[in-house]
Amino acid sequence: MAAESKLAPIRKGLLEFLVLKIVGAKSIYVPEILRSLAGTEFTTQEGTLYPLLSKLRREDLVQYEWKESDAGPPRKYYRLTDAGRTQLAELDEYWNLINRTIANFGH
Amino acid sequence: MQRISTTVRLNRSVLQFDDAANARLERYLTESASLLEGDPDPQEILGDLEQAVADQCTRRMRAGQSVVTLAELEPALGEIGSVQAPGNWTASPHPPHEATPRVLQQVSEGAVISGVCLGLARYFRLDVTLLRVISVLLLLGTGGAMVLVYLGLMLLMPYAPLVPGGTPIRWLPAKCRAFMEFLRVKLGVDRQGKMAATPPRVQ
Repeated sequence: MAAESKLAPIRKGLLEFLVLKIVGAKSIYVPEILRSLAGTEFTTQEGTLYPLLSKLRREDLVQYEWKESDAGPPRKYYRLTDAGRTQLAELDEYWNLINRTIANFGH
Repeated sequence: MQRISTTVRLNRSVLQFDDAANARLERYLTESASLLEGDPDPQEILGDLEQAVADQCTRRMRAGQSVVTLAELEPALGEIGSVQAPGNWTASPHPPHEATPRVLQQVSEGAVISGVCLGLARYFRLDVTLLRVISVLLLLGTGGAMVLVYLGLMLLMPYAPLVPGGTPIRWLPAKCRAFMEFLRVKLGVDRQGKMAATPPRVQ
């Protein structure tokens, strides 16, 4: 697809927003985030997600806590901080705004 | 033949790797570390990745298998993927959207009549179809008085500059625009000039 080179940066930019949305819905660990993204346009991998989550944690938007699991070592469960919730609301609003703007330009 | 295995501590897990797998693992982790150069917190990410490798390999091992081989490690690393620094998309911050001034003006491209609804929709960030439906309902409900309101807005709202090479304008909006611009010149009200960011005139 010729448009792919233009679509890739859009997806890339939106991944962070989407991860905030997913983490905002419930306390979640990485394999679960990957599963919920699998099969969508935003299918991604641990190699991408861990650096992104680390960045979000440094920005104080997400935090994690260790939880014991039935099998294997404890897992890191991520959730949004208050600042993360505020930013997610802002992003959500802006995203809706952009969508309306684009829709209003017709074809 | 003897398979020498190495005990590797991967974050919170301890696993046995055979020589080939151990070498591959080291290569992956070194590569990841160099990809994370410049990241303020590479240790945390590397720790997470180590744990991911351990979990993925454990999941792929047969019951009773004690040593990880390339047969488990390769697909595990394939699933984890190489490190992508998120810095790529934070490097160019977008200008805040408040910076764009909101101007109430008629939009000819994609308009039905003159672009009043489209202009109002953009200004108030509403769905244009919704505004058009409301306008038609008001037209019917007010027994046609809405026509005057529309004509008034047509006269008062300046026209948005046309986008060069943009969407072609339909016949009616084009005629409306041409007529209103003609009328404005006649009446001596050049709203376009007033609204546009013209440099202040020297008195």
